[in-house]
Amino acid sequence: MKEDCKKYFESISEYLDGELGPDDCQQIEQHLKECPECQDCFDALKKTIDLCRKSAREEIPEEMRKRLRSKLRDCLGDHQLPSE
Amino acid sequence: MKAMEAIVDRYENRIFTFGLKMCGQLQDAEDITQDTFLNAFKYLNSFREETKLKNWLFKIAATACIRKRRKKKCEPDRELSLESFMNKDGTFETYDIPDGSDDPSDKVLQAEMKSVISDAIKTLPHKYKLVFNLRDIEGFNTKETADILGISIESVKTRLHRARLALREKISHSYREGKSA
Repeated sequence: MKEDCKKYFESISEYLDGELGPDDCQQIEQHLKECPECQDCFDALKKTIDLCRKSAREEIPEEMRKRLRSKLRDCLGDHQLPSE
Repeated sequence: MKAMEAIVDRYENRIFTFGLKMCGQLQDAEDITQDTFLNAFKYLNSFREETKLKNWLFKIAATACIRKRRKKKCEPDRELSLESFMNKDGTFETYDIPDGSDDPSDKVLQAEMKSVISDAIKTLPHKYKLVFNLRDIEGFNTKETADILGISIESVKTRLHRARLALREKISHSYREGKSA
């Protein structure tokens, strides 16, 4: 990996997350235009994050749900709950 | 009790998902979900109104995950170095990451990919997995994640970037193996 690419490689996540300042963003965008390898690297990272987010949610199995409710009822009295 | 149930209704799947992704076992995920709600309702007095309830619950859940890992006397976390993701000879690795399909007819493919992704997340070292799950799966921002875990913003950024790079490698590798099988 070239030295120039290394510098941007370290900041790709921050760029993706919108956590870089405008000057840094501009530099990365310019580099991605000029470097197809880094553009591929960036695209693959972005796809990885999207894929993980899409496949994330699980649902608690019904039996566990029932056990959880029952345990909470057994262990807890009438607590005052915080507002959200 | 009704208000308590409303909170459980709202957050149980999220806490359960977090526990499952952190520990990889259904039983552990159930323990973490139970511990989280029991501790949350037990220590309501320490809840400060300026904190969001969701953040507070995940702080308790993350602590439960860390405690469970200590109890199991797991190996110390290995470090993921940035250099390990760079090719020293100046060449670039190419990655084969599929696009996530929203087409319901792709259910088999979606199930396969879900399993590949879950397996890949499971293999992350614990401290990277905590950050990844909070940031990319649960959607907390960098500052919130740092507050939940009691670490610096810089540490969150570093761990997140390395976790993502590790997942990109693992998912690409599994996907290629699947295609050639």
